[in-house]
Amino acid sequence: MTSVDAAEHAGTVDPDLLAMMESLFATFRRDTVSPDDVVTLDRALWTALTELGLSRLTGAEEHGGSGASWYDAAGLLSAAAAAAVPAPLAENDLLAGWLLDSAGLRSEHAVRTAGRLENGVAVVPWARCADSIVLLREAGGGWEIAEIPIADVSVTPGVNLAGEPRDVVSVADEAARWHPAPEGAGDEFMLRGALARAAQICGALESVVDLCVLHSTQRTQFGRALAKFQAVQHLVADIAAETALARSATGAAVAQVSDLGWSDEATALSVAVAKSCASHAVSVVVRNAHQVHGAIGTTFEHDLHRYTNPVLSWRAEFGSAHTWDTALARAAIRTGRGDLWSLITDGRPIRI
Amino acid sequence: MVNQNRGATRLVPRSVQNRGRHDGLRAEVRAFLRGQLDSGVFAPGVDTWLTGWNPEFSSLLAERGWVGMSIPTEFGGRGRSHVERFVVTEELLAAGAPVAAHWIADRQIAPSLLKFGTEPQKKRFLPAISRAECFFGIGMSEPESGSDLASVRTKAAETEGGWLVSGTKLWTSGAHRADYFFVLARTSPRDPDRRHDGLSQFIVDLRAEGVEIRPIISTTGQHHFNEVQMEEVFVPADMVLGNVGEGWKQVTSELGYERSGPERFLSTFPLLAATAQAMEREELPTEPDIGRLIARTVGLHHMSSAVASALQRGEDASTAAAVVKTLGTVMEGDIADFADTLGDALGAPLTDDPVGSFQDLLRMAVLQRPGFTLRGGTTEVLRGVIARELGLR
Repeated sequence: MTSVDAAEHAGTVDPDLLAMMESLFATFRRDTVSPDDVVTLDRALWTALTELGLSRLTGAEEHGGSGASWYDAAGLLSAAAAAAVPAPLAENDLLAGWLLDSAGLRSEHAVRTAGRLENGVAVVPWARCADSIVLLREAGGGWEIAEIPIADVSVTPGVNLAGEPRDVVSVADEAARWHPAPEGAGDEFMLRGALARAAQICGALESVVDLCVLHSTQRTQFGRALAKFQAVQHLVADIAAETALARSATGAAVAQVSDLGWSDEATALSVAVAKSCASHAVSVVVRNAHQVHGAIGTTFEHDLHRYTNPVLSWRAEFGSAHTWDTALARAAIRTGRGDLWSLITDGRPIRI
Repeated sequence: MVNQNRGATRLVPRSVQNRGRHDGLRAEVRAFLRGQLDSGVFAPGVDTWLTGWNPEFSSLLAERGWVGMSIPTEFGGRGRSHVERFVVTEELLAAGAPVAAHWIADRQIAPSLLKFGTEPQKKRFLPAISRAECFFGIGMSEPESGSDLASVRTKAAETEGGWLVSGTKLWTSGAHRADYFFVLARTSPRDPDRRHDGLSQFIVDLRAEGVEIRPIISTTGQHHFNEVQMEEVFVPADMVLGNVGEGWKQVTSELGYERSGPERFLSTFPLLAATAQAMEREELPTEPDIGRLIARTVGLHHMSSAVASALQRGEDASTAAAVVKTLGTVMEGDIADFADTLGDALGAPLTDDPVGSFQDLLRMAVLQRPGFTLRGGTTEVLRGVIARELGLR
């Protein structure tokens, strides 16, 4: 892929690029899955992503990245989630790749994931599928990182609700060479992860809207399509509205990050808003979608769980709804009555 | 494949980056409001676009060019964009300023006159609206026509030089203080197969002979709504708005403006701000749920802004507006309910505040709340609008 000129399509994903992403994920979507499947990395998909310049989308061009913006990165994450194609895209590019770039470490193409180490242990998405793990830890009031080959860490397999690897990783101190990371790397790691998950949640929720429209217009009961019942219309309308709010909040955060960057003092608040709106949307959408689908939606045979299980998992990662709500609550209370409105329009620094 | 119908799921235009573009305007309005608050000209209220009728304050806003902002200068307005008007109204509502007197004229009447009015109508009303000297009401609902607006029974019969209008309009806010109202009336008999045909809009003088205005007192004890009875009220031919028989099309074409604005998610914002303050003073418990409400307010601010930009580009945003209104008005009520579940009414009184006490805002919010999800299209009607866009009906 040629480099993506951010100025050319400021504020959105380039439609041609988006179409390419969607067609790629459609090709690699598995038509059937079984309950025993643990999600593994599809290496053919990863090769295709890398050849198209999508696996290291936001990396600097001089280090083999595509130099794209968060508009494109969020578009990619949403497209993958909307097609129910799991891959460590956020982990490889937006977390591990960023950490290596920020510490000035060269990186050849590989499959990487990342985690924040606490007391020598981290729960790391996709660890067992990766070639290496980039770990971030607090050290002497600052942050440091190390890239460690997967063979040199201890991995205890675990999965989330959607069968995606969430492995417990522990590392012996001598196994790693630590490098200083930029100030604030710990907070930025959380924020990047949270915004990535919000973008994934939006993509999956939009597919749930489509599934509900499809099911309610095709399924007939009492002699008419479910969609003709007002009660069902209202369930689906609320699903669509909550999804639209999650998308508006996430789109605004993506714009904030793309245009003003991670160090801008309003960025953390916009990400907190996106993750809060997306996480609470999950409650309404999952509940209503099951109500619309009836018993078939509770089966493994039906596609619904390929969206609902991931979003239920993702909303609890990189800060729960409670985490972000609390951060926003503290910021609001600290801001004071007279200035609360400017917090809404202009943002404020928040403590995570 | 799930994604083939993706178009249907994007009900709301993308967030538009207006960042920084209107900072100067926001700062100007904020500084003005701060001055007015400090000098005690107004105390922040809840739902002030309905409850805060204050013609003097409307005049102050008009002097600064914040009434009739998007009316072209040739008609006495300020020739500003719809988005600039949106920015100013957001600031006014967030501060709980009393804007009811000019609200309907500024939001709804002026755009309708610009779109459908004759040159003489525009010259007569628009400059007066911009000066906050001419206030309007809306005459749509009737005793037998609530959500089902097309069933209106008010009739207009042609007579020499004009029309004779007879019927009863309900819920006309401010009719007892406004100068004119827009009346939706039937001008040809109802055809059950084409029930939206044969309706027309009239500009009716609320002081005209044959107009009787009766107050409807709300549960707050306040008088905002009215029943307006018209008995063969003569309306001159030049006071027909737009085309005879196209009233339905005219009324519904403006719903994007009516349903997507900041008044659909900020009616209780002053209470949210007072709640945060009471938490800061440790007079109310700190609940993280206030963070959820802050997040939703920010999300709706972005969504409503995106709709304002779409309207400015001339796009149809009626479904997006329905999304803003259904989410926003429910949240306005959730704020009232949240604040109402925090304190013990028999506990120590909260600090009284010169700029509006928490208790006063709370009482008002709890009592005004039921109207939020009814006026301008009930939540249930709006869900139907969204469902139609999704292809369900």
